[in-house]
Amino acid sequence: MEGVSRGSSSGVGIRAVYDGAWGFAATNDPSPDAVRRAAQQAVEVARASARVRGRDDQRAVLDERRASTGTYTTPHERDPLEVPLSEKVDHLLAATTAARDAADVSFVEASTDAWRITTSYRDSAGGSVDQRVLQVGGGLVAYAVGGGEVQRRSFPNSFGGQYETGGWERVLLLDLAGCAPDTARDAVALLDAPDLPYREDAVLLLESSQLALQIHESVGHAVELDRILGSEAAYAGTSWVSATDRGSLRYGSPLMTVIADATTPHAMGTFGYDDEGVPAGQAAIVTDGVLTGYLTDRQSAAQLGEQSNGTARADSWGAIPLIRMNNVSLQPKEGDRASIVADTDDGVLFLTNRSWSIDDRRLNFQFGCEVAYEIRGGQLGRMYRNPTYAGRTPDFWGSCDALGGQSDWKVWGVPNCGKGQPSQTARVAHGAPTGRFRATVGVR
Amino acid sequence: MWGEDRLTALADAALTIGGDVEAVLSRTDSALTRFAGSRIHQNTSRLDGEARIRVVLDGRVGVVATNDLSYDGLHAAADKAREIAALTPADPHFPGLTPAGQPYGRTAGPDEETLGCPPQRRAELVAAALAELPAEVDAAGTMETSVQERAIVTSTGIRVYAAGTRATASVLAQGATSSGWAEAGATAIGGLDCAALGRRAGEKVLLGASPREMPAGSYPVVLESGATTNIVQWLGWLAFPGRAYNEERSALSGRLGEQVCSPLVTIVDDPLSPLLPGTPFDPEGTATRRTSLIEAGVAVGVAHDRATGAVAGTGSTGNAMPAPNSMGGLPTHLLMNAGGATMDELVAGLDRGLYVTRFHYTNVVHPVSTSITGMTRDGTFLVEDGRIVGGVRNLRFTQSCLAALAGCEAVGADVELATDLFYGAALAPAVRLSSFTFTSTTAY
Repeated sequence: MEGVSRGSSSGVGIRAVYDGAWGFAATNDPSPDAVRRAAQQAVEVARASARVRGRDDQRAVLDERRASTGTYTTPHERDPLEVPLSEKVDHLLAATTAARDAADVSFVEASTDAWRITTSYRDSAGGSVDQRVLQVGGGLVAYAVGGGEVQRRSFPNSFGGQYETGGWERVLLLDLAGCAPDTARDAVALLDAPDLPYREDAVLLLESSQLALQIHESVGHAVELDRILGSEAAYAGTSWVSATDRGSLRYGSPLMTVIADATTPHAMGTFGYDDEGVPAGQAAIVTDGVLTGYLTDRQSAAQLGEQSNGTARADSWGAIPLIRMNNVSLQPKEGDRASIVADTDDGVLFLTNRSWSIDDRRLNFQFGCEVAYEIRGGQLGRMYRNPTYAGRTPDFWGSCDALGGQSDWKVWGVPNCGKGQPSQTARVAHGAPTGRFRATVGVR
Repeated sequence: MWGEDRLTALADAALTIGGDVEAVLSRTDSALTRFAGSRIHQNTSRLDGEARIRVVLDGRVGVVATNDLSYDGLHAAADKAREIAALTPADPHFPGLTPAGQPYGRTAGPDEETLGCPPQRRAELVAAALAELPAEVDAAGTMETSVQERAIVTSTGIRVYAAGTRATASVLAQGATSSGWAEAGATAIGGLDCAALGRRAGEKVLLGASPREMPAGSYPVVLESGATTNIVQWLGWLAFPGRAYNEERSALSGRLGEQVCSPLVTIVDDPLSPLLPGTPFDPEGTATRRTSLIEAGVAVGVAHDRATGAVAGTGSTGNAMPAPNSMGGLPTHLLMNAGGATMDELVAGLDRGLYVTRFHYTNVVHPVSTSITGMTRDGTFLVEDGRIVGGVRNLRFTQSCLAALAGCEAVGADVELATDLFYGAALAPAVRLSSFTFTSTTAY
């Protein structure tokens, strides 16, 4: 057992508007005096903000809405932070033992994480929300090292596995020990596999976890309205989508429908209220290939004359809420991975993300995966190592000509979404089936 | 600031539980003023701290972190850490807590002006940068100040404390068809020239207007400090970690003593350098020092914590990360030595090539070969006959870091702080490289 730790962090964050300008102050000292000082500091900071207003003298305006009151607790059976440590240790060691017994791996890592986030939200308009969100995750990674190569296979996904909202029962459903042997054998087999050859305009199939990250980078971030309006420009960038594109921009093929849904059961991006007190809901983002919505908070929505769709979230008490993805999911169509493979004459199947990169307008991307398989005549063929694919967002989504159905559709947690300055990390999710596209493969 | 006496006295509270205990306490007061569209749109301040308590019971290790920096909070955290250790299997690789008796170096203490910097001062500096922009050019960026103090007290007798301040600023100037970037950092706010940053970013907007598209391919390049820093930081993740070296996952595994870069390249990790100061001790209490990693192109060292240093037989180099840490030692204060060339001389050495201001969203493609991918942004130019002739659209590169530095033809005289997306800060000069591989383009 390499590391066992427990952490807790608590505090108060206060956001204030003064003359149309924002200020924020946070303290880890919960005493009334300290909180009062933080409130005064927030106003002082807002006064300073008001000194630099830009050429258009823009002022912060929030959408018109009735103040929210309510409570929410993530449905669960066993609070993961109340599960005995020994049970978690046994669960992980059983998985690593099963992997080691199955193949000559160099090393194996298994891990589980759990978070319990308790939030009390109050605002001067009367908003009052109390919320407790439980998030859990677990996974296994087998490594094979040799011949100048480091190959790995992750189960059920990279970034530490699968992450969901719920209790410890969600981790047990992963069956880490049962799936460890195949994971280990694949990692070792990759050492002797050839590199995926370079090819332009190749047909590629993305299994659902990789397609989930493709959605994250090339759709989810691109439709954040604060980014579109420029507030992230100096850090993670802007977007190829504009605030006037709704209803007219063709994002992808008619197969493409994307919905942001903060109520998806068990999904990592599910909650009761966002951090502006807006109740969780759904929003259509892309419908039949056409852009139909954005992710919004109260301020950005007001700029479009609308109401927030409830995606303002802070990663802690010490951070301001930003527009963050919830569960931004590509809707299923029909069939499954097997039927799409059978329908593909010449292509490549990519599995499990290893690397990701996209430009600062979310157009030019390049992804690496842990493994790929040749598809010939509707059959899976040889294994490839170090597979990559690259393309541009509208071309890629425009090339989509097959998406799996409901049975092939799965929601994948993404626990490490970075945004903002100071940098914040959000835990979000994306549902996706297997999809078929065209792009350049084998870039290195 | 709380100061040495108060912070170490609090750490003592953790030691009262008896046995082998390590208490790492930190306290941070940070403020970040963020602007976009030439107005301050996000403005935050945060006062927080952390106590990270490690308890060891017969080789079994438990770690608890809390931001409750009260006597009771510290004591409760230590109790919980002991409870975790008692339930955890022994770690045969744990080398024990660091013994006392090491001499510690010194770093610059806190700067009084930075320590008490009010939000109005940060707003003034933002305004100073904006005042230098050309007409019709807006800007986004940050102005950040922070003070951090840290103490370590252990049952083995270590009792150390350090404090320091930091001020950083960045300016992204945005024109209709081009953008420009400049950033700087210092240990004191008085060391920042924000007006100069505004001028420099604005000049790049004018220079890069109406960019032309260059075909993908290999070009000789001049990298500004920020871009070079990104390359060096990736070596910090891929090649220099002691655990990767031990496990033959590093490009340097088995290659110490070999020429791996141009003789013009010397890279060290040095938390004691006044150029990029850290603390005189790492989170295990080991004294930090200047560690040579690449000396005149020859691989000479890697970064170890106590565990990986024991395996390598070298001992720790003072590069531990906070416990629990499965990554091993990492270099967090990388410095590449400056050379003698001015920027004009670096550019004058290019017959035809590209000038890169900075990279965006870089990520690993092949770890052992130190191959990464990423985009250029905010000032990419075509150089012909030794002078910049205009802007070019951004390109994606896929390139081995070591191979790039193997072709280093000249090194700039000036080094400047460059902060990078996700990976902190380092310091590297501008360089001219004989070849850099760009694999695709984007639309702007």
